[in-house]
Amino acid sequence: MPSIVNIGRRIELVPIDTHFHDITIALYQEELDACTIFRIHTYSRKDGASGRIQQVANSMHTLGGMSELSNGKIFFPCGDNHEAACRRVFLEACKIPPNTPVEPRPLNTLDKKSKLTMTVDSLGSGSYRVTSDGEGRGAERRVSAIAGGLMKLGEMHAGLESDGDTVFFPCGQSHDALVGLLLVRAPNVRVIMREEETTASRGVLSAPSQQI
Amino acid sequence: MDNQNGETKKPMTGRERVLAALRNEPTDRTPVCNPTSVATVELMDLVDAPFPEANREPELMARLAATGYTELGFDTIMPVFTIIQESSALGCKIQWEQKDNWPTVKMREPIWENVDDISIPNDFLTHPDTQCVLEAIKILKKEYGDEVAVIGKTMGPWSLGYHCFGVEPFLLLSLDDPGKTKLALDRMKEATVQFGIAQIEAGADALTLPDHATGDLVSGEYYQRYLRDLHIEFVDRIPIPLILHICGRTVDRMEFIAQTGMAAFHYDSKNEPKESMEIVEKRIALVGNINNPETLFAKEPEDVRAEVVKNLDAGVPLIGPECAIPLQTTIENLQEIPKAVQAWHRGHTH
Repeated sequence: MPSIVNIGRRIELVPIDTHFHDITIALYQEELDACTIFRIHTYSRKDGASGRIQQVANSMHTLGGMSELSNGKIFFPCGDNHEAACRRVFLEACKIPPNTPVEPRPLNTLDKKSKLTMTVDSLGSGSYRVTSDGEGRGAERRVSAIAGGLMKLGEMHAGLESDGDTVFFPCGQSHDALVGLLLVRAPNVRVIMREEETTASRGVLSAPSQQI
Repeated sequence: MDNQNGETKKPMTGRERVLAALRNEPTDRTPVCNPTSVATVELMDLVDAPFPEANREPELMARLAATGYTELGFDTIMPVFTIIQESSALGCKIQWEQKDNWPTVKMREPIWENVDDISIPNDFLTHPDTQCVLEAIKILKKEYGDEVAVIGKTMGPWSLGYHCFGVEPFLLLSLDDPGKTKLALDRMKEATVQFGIAQIEAGADALTLPDHATGDLVSGEYYQRYLRDLHIEFVDRIPIPLILHICGRTVDRMEFIAQTGMAAFHYDSKNEPKESMEIVEKRIALVGNINNPETLFAKEPEDVRAEVVKNLDAGVPLIGPECAIPLQTTIENLQEIPKAVQAWHRGHTH
């Protein structure tokens, strides 16, 4: 007899996994011995569902630099929650089809707006600096925007003595893989926000008068 | 539970509790009632009964609906997740959508233009999308009928008017020609009655009757003019407790709603529980009010609990979500509703 399991607070959901029989995959969070543990879970009992969960966990391990326990449980080596960042890692991991090789994202990306390559360098102790291969006010603005994107997506903080180009994780630990993943989306955070709003509005029933 | 003689009193079943509350009779605790859907995508996976199939296949519909009782702990099971089953049977085109979204009527392709177009097909009750509901109710009644109240749903004529004429044309008709509007409602009401009675015969203990004269588009005066007497007629013709559902802020029509003789009004979180209870004065039970898009969907169990307590403190006799819950709602938040009701009663036991 199937039943609900108490595995903490759900923080993210992929309602339809198009790569595996349209199952729903959720990300749960719980605190264990002062460490935040995340669990990827599906209530589906379709054959292969647990394998798909393991694939997502493996992808999160690679994409987010997370450590794996077992049964879809993962955590950041620093033990902090980094909730927003973990949600982003989860969503990206669910987009990867089964049996697809997964590589960590590089610490540079082409910024389509400025046509410049943006690079993020680790300064140690969880700090990162964004630089570009161009100069001028336009480049500075984009560097600052991308640093802002990292702050938003990864709940990072602005460097105290920076020109808007330095950000850091409050845990004080390096998360290179995570930064690489966030960097892909950091140039255009508004798109992410819009996507999230659209996703959230799906499945909310409105009265017929609201459906015109 | 002990009575005055110190004898242990058997707790009421969910069914007894709900039906007593709908009759305005005492209960051992406030029932937890969902007059509309509590289906979620996770529950669909749990019992392998996803949308859209769970709206079209009776076994899946029953299986998914039963989770409201077996997994969430509600005192009711309500299998009619959508608001489009009878509109489909009337001939409306339906966008069935996917697992994560609600089916909708394609209201930009209305099936009727004039009052004379209104006709209820001979196969209305044998159409697959009405039959699905009737069969699901039979399954649930057989399996859970002694334990919980099985609640069906039959759409009121105002909602059917939106679906079959389109929202704008129907509202314009109501402005331009009250006589024709009343005639249209009078003709469409037969679908409401037929489907309602068929669900009673299938085993439903109570029926939700959504009639979307919603606070945003329709005034309280409109409700009185067009719908109050029709709703009184439904109470006469559909011999089972009826739960009227209207979304939005509706305090301006609660006085009229309380005059209909309906057993309960499923009310929206835009209405304050206390002010609503003061208006209806126990002439009709209230149920609902737990906010969907903000609280159940996006907040935490403690926020759900606070809204449940607010309703209980106001004396609302049945507790539940305000409308069909968003399909991505967390199970944890839904389970909090019965937990909060039980906790409140423990705190109020003397």
